[in-house]
Amino acid sequence: MLVTAIEARPLRSLDRVRVELAPGIVSVIGPNGTGKTNLIEALYFALTGRSFRTSDRRDLIPFGGSLARAEATVRDEDGIEHQLLAAVSRSEGRRHLIDGSPADPATIARARPPVAVFAPDRLTLVKGPPAERRAHLDGFIAARWPARAELRKRFGQAVAQRNALLSRLAAGYGSPADLGIWDSGMAEAAAPLVEARAEAVADLATAFNEAATELGLDEGALEYAPRAAGSTEEIRAGLEERREQDIRLGRSSWGPHLDELKLNSAGRSLRRFGSQGQQRAALLALLFAERQALLEARRVVPLLLLDDVMSELDPGRRERLVNRLGDGGQVLITAADEESVPVAALETVVRMPPPQTESAAP
Amino acid sequence: MSDGPAPLARLVAELSRLPGIGQRTAQRLAFHLLRAPDEEAFALGDAIREVKEKVGLCEECFNLAEGPLCRICGDQNRDRATICVVEEPSDVIPIERTHEYRGLYHVLGGALSPIDGVDAEDLKIGELRRRVERGGVSEVVLATNPTTTGEATALHIAEMLRGQVTVTRLASGLPVGADLEHADEVTLGKALAGRRSLE
Ligand SMILES: Nc1ncnc2c1ncn2[C@@H]1O[C@H](COP(=O)(O)OP(=O)(O)OP(=O)(O)O)[C@@H](O)[C@H]1O
Ligand SMILES: [Mg+2]
Ligand SMILES: [Zn+2]
Repeated sequence: MLVTAIEARPLRSLDRVRVELAPGIVSVIGPNGTGKTNLIEALYFALTGRSFRTSDRRDLIPFGGSLARAEATVRDEDGIEHQLLAAVSRSEGRRHLIDGSPADPATIARARPPVAVFAPDRLTLVKGPPAERRAHLDGFIAARWPARAELRKRFGQAVAQRNALLSRLAAGYGSPADLGIWDSGMAEAAAPLVEARAEAVADLATAFNEAATELGLDEGALEYAPRAAGSTEEIRAGLEERREQDIRLGRSSWGPHLDELKLNSAGRSLRRFGSQGQQRAALLALLFAERQALLEARRVVPLLLLDDVMSELDPGRRERLVNRLGDGGQVLITAADEESVPVAALETVVRMPPPQTESAAP
Repeated sequence: MSDGPAPLARLVAELSRLPGIGQRTAQRLAFHLLRAPDEEAFALGDAIREVKEKVGLCEECFNLAEGPLCRICGDQNRDRATICVVEEPSDVIPIERTHEYRGLYHVLGGALSPIDGVDAEDLKIGELRRRVERGGVSEVVLATNPTTTGEATALHIAEMLRGQVTVTRLASGLPVGADLEHADEVTLGKALAGRRSLE
């Protein structure tokens, strides 16, 4: 699968900006403020229906406008091109269409490549709360094993049901005996999710360590130590043991919804002790490891969006990074100046048009 | 956008209360009805009135019925020793379509869901227990949806009936998280034929 074009019409500062994309590495070059980040945001939006910068999609609407739209052209394995169009409007909400027809998220996910983003503000993935890392890992699971894509949602539903009952019990309604079926429901959803997460981390650990070393991170390690591991039966027993406490708290105090994916360097948590540069290297190493795993596992070609990644790497690391990206798969790199991009990544260059100035009054 | 004349606004408001119908779709439907020939639009209105006046719930199984008993409970050729438990009346239709099942039904009217405040008392679960206690039933087939709430409901009923009657669950093979209503006949037929006993 290959993204062959992206068009913002309009999105933030971009209006009717269309860029043709090639396989391999595409470098997007332009001075500060010319809309490079907006362009990769447009691409991400067209493919996923979301932004990686904001949870409020309406931020994508140009100042003073009422609608944001981005359209990506994706060529599938049979060489057929499909149009993915995402739109958000102040009055009519949001839409996501394939070839002009509305489609549900699962259908859209099958029609596009898996996409990962590096951007300076995505460092929260390393230094933010565990929930972000869990969500990210579960997203990787969905891309790596599509048949397991529903595990996260199903588990989320089961915990939400158990918690709803716990909060009613905490308030003195209902009978604790009713918890039995929800202990089972949560355990049944938890066991395969924990197993998938453990497998995913095992799949990624070596590649993470290697990529981290290349980026100058000492003894980089990816670790997942689930609280609730084992069979459905064992997890159910664990939940039953904690019933009284959970009723007191009015929520489930144990289970994979509280698990942590640890990113360490030399045995220490990068979340707590990592420098900005180390956290950046860890995020890149994680995205590279995932990309490599997806490339090895399936024929789909993951798309990697690297916003402003060069500016804070020394020349040696820039070279190594680009070498690593040469192994197939589509990559978009943005940079303010060409000098910071190794020549190997300059085969396909897109230059951002100068910002459109307000047309003079008649 | 203006809401148009009051009767139109009222129709849009009523339509948009239907499941799966948003404001925009409601508007489209309303304008369609407005443009449609009188008899076509009135036929829809009459059909709604008639269904509300004539169709109720079966006193025995809570399936839809035009009298005190539904067509299935009234059919003397059905196997009265087997009861298939489903969430909604709409779930009876796909099971009937498989032609694999000759027993009776029991429609719960939903599934257990603490989030929505639905517990056992809100469903026809006590009525199911009484049907079994009255005797003559040898198997209860649990055909609630393979969703989080459907599975929990099945488990609740299995525990309630343990030791009184054979309780079976549809064989897996139905897509997880899907609704019975949308399962195809072949898959559903297989799931019925391959039902397994819950101890
Ligand atoms: N909703 C919006 N409507 C219009 N313009 C916007 C909107 N949001 C952001 N902008 C503008 O878009 C311009 C380009 O932003 P963008 O972040 O894409 O630049 P960039 O090329 O990535 O710059 P840098 O090299 O500094 O990262 C900025 O001047 C910003 O003010
Ligand atoms: Mg930028
Ligand atoms: Zn009946």
